[in-house]
Amino acid sequence: MNILEVEHLHVTFPARRGSIRASQDVSFSVKEGEICVLVGETGSGKSVIGQAILHLLPQSAMVSGSIRYAGEEILSLPESAFSRLRGHAISFIPQDPIGSLDPLMRCGRQVAEALETRGVPKEMRPSRVTSLLSALSFPDPDLVAVSYPHELSGGMCQRLTTGIALASSPHLLVADEPTKGLDYVSRKRTIEMFLDLKVKGTDSILMITHDLELADLIGDTAGVLYSGELVEFGPAAEVFGHPLHPYTKGLIAALPKNGMRPMRGVCPGLAALPKGCYFQDRCPAPCTTDLHPPMHDVCGRQVRCSRC
Amino acid sequence: MHYYLIKRIAHLILTLLIASVFTFIVVNAAPGEPAEVLARHLYTGLEEAAPPELIAKVADRYDLSKPLLVQYSDWVGGLFTGNMGYSILFKKPVSWLLMLHLPPTILLTTVSMVFATIAGIIFGVYSALHQNKISDHLIRAATIFFASMPGFWVAVMLILVFSLWLGIMPVAGYGWPLFIILPATALGLHAMVSIVRIMRTSMLETMEKPFVMFAKVKGLPMKKVIFSHACKNAFLPVLTVIGMSFGALLAGSVVIETIFSWPGIGEMLMKAISARDLVLIESTIMVIVFLFLIVNFVIDLLYHIVDPRIIYE
Repeated sequence: MNILEVEHLHVTFPARRGSIRASQDVSFSVKEGEICVLVGETGSGKSVIGQAILHLLPQSAMVSGSIRYAGEEILSLPESAFSRLRGHAISFIPQDPIGSLDPLMRCGRQVAEALETRGVPKEMRPSRVTSLLSALSFPDPDLVAVSYPHELSGGMCQRLTTGIALASSPHLLVADEPTKGLDYVSRKRTIEMFLDLKVKGTDSILMITHDLELADLIGDTAGVLYSGELVEFGPAAEVFGHPLHPYTKGLIAALPKNGMRPMRGVCPGLAALPKGCYFQDRCPAPCTTDLHPPMHDVCGRQVRCSRC
Repeated sequence: MHYYLIKRIAHLILTLLIASVFTFIVVNAAPGEPAEVLARHLYTGLEEAAPPELIAKVADRYDLSKPLLVQYSDWVGGLFTGNMGYSILFKKPVSWLLMLHLPPTILLTTVSMVFATIAGIIFGVYSALHQNKISDHLIRAATIFFASMPGFWVAVMLILVFSLWLGIMPVAGYGWPLFIILPATALGLHAMVSIVRIMRTSMLETMEKPFVMFAKVKGLPMKKVIFSHACKNAFLPVLTVIGMSFGALLAGSVVIETIFSWPGIGEMLMKAISARDLVLIESTIMVIVFLFLIVNFVIDLLYHIVDPRIIYE
């Protein structure tokens, strides 16, 4: 059963001239207990998808399409109705752990807030905060509880935000670049944590990342985004093992373990996308048509390339 | 922290010393021979010219014939020993006059500031949360309107509308609480509109911050996200504006107190200036400077309390 279904999602931001199409015609689904990874470069519209699912986009964003959670349409839900899902059934690990904690509030209280919304009675909260913090392998949970975020390291904040996001044992977890800006040790710990979650196999996870190694390790299904649209989507082992779209091929070839051969060119700006295929300028074998290639099935996965 | 306090107090004394030099120069450089103006005020009346013998006598009697440097060191030396001098016009010690007139001024400026801060935050937050709606446009239009109105004009209009036409407020005078409403409003309006604008901008910026997003992710109700996370963080720049506005408020109180016959130092200062009661002017200005410095000192300490990231060493 599909826990999350995204169909024809379009997200557009008004800009001084024209508009920025951050996400275009994105369709994919996540099955129950499955880990789906979306990979792409900075500016490929990855984070926008996660924010759209959780209704976290700024008011200026124009969103259309359909997002269904457990069969229920949630994109059009008003804030009052959606807030019963957010933080309960659907949770979110933000990409900027230090910035995601209120700088003026002690960490313990910020964790307690998350427990408050889950109906933990007030007198139980301090002990629950302590046990939650020790579960996040903080050696001195009481010290962390009285610390302010700026007194903690990036890795510690990362563990805190992850812990807060997981405190509700959500059915669907959206993780937005959980390894971004982390040092080697913290990154390794984060990857281990997700592998742990994968082994437990209870949660469905939508992971948004530019970390291909992480994506390859934990993903069941994988989607590759380029200039705001999906260019390839299918089983992770297939997508990373035998890429079909020239962009995915380029990404894999650019990995250090594959000889670090970078792709030529840069992504087109989202405000001025070319006609036809968005990848044409960087494609080793560009097609000659002006028609924008649609997503189509190729051996059990979906690819947006007219030559595949 | 102790080192910081000592450093700040040393700064405060140095600033006061520099301010005393400027005050003394400006007061003495004002057009009109002080002894002559004083002589007319005290003896002959404003229309008649004072005879030279009288001017010389007045100058001698009130130490105005001494060299300026001596006059300055006498005054500042007195300040250090707690003696603020003696008012020629009121025939009373300056400290006695300040004891009498300072409390009304502190009351008026404090009430104005509290009014400006509370109203400014309420309107600023409301405006930000209703961005680009009609209420936001109205609040912004009103802030521009009041920001461009001089305080004395607003004061006169308030008297006209609320005292003369509607008859619900006293025209002028000293009292509590009815008498303070109009002068405090007239005085605090400028500070209020700047707080509204800063609070609105800061709130809009804060609402887009990742920690506000994450507070929503926790499943907190919107009210809690706004009040316990967004507002508190958006308030930080307002604190600076409060400190800066306090100076403008003290300066504005001179005019507002005169219009509303509020018996504060502003009104006393006006009389002292027109009679060239030098020591009274100088000492009163020093007290105003001191008040401004103390308020900003307290605000700097408040920063540390509100924002744990700021540590003074």
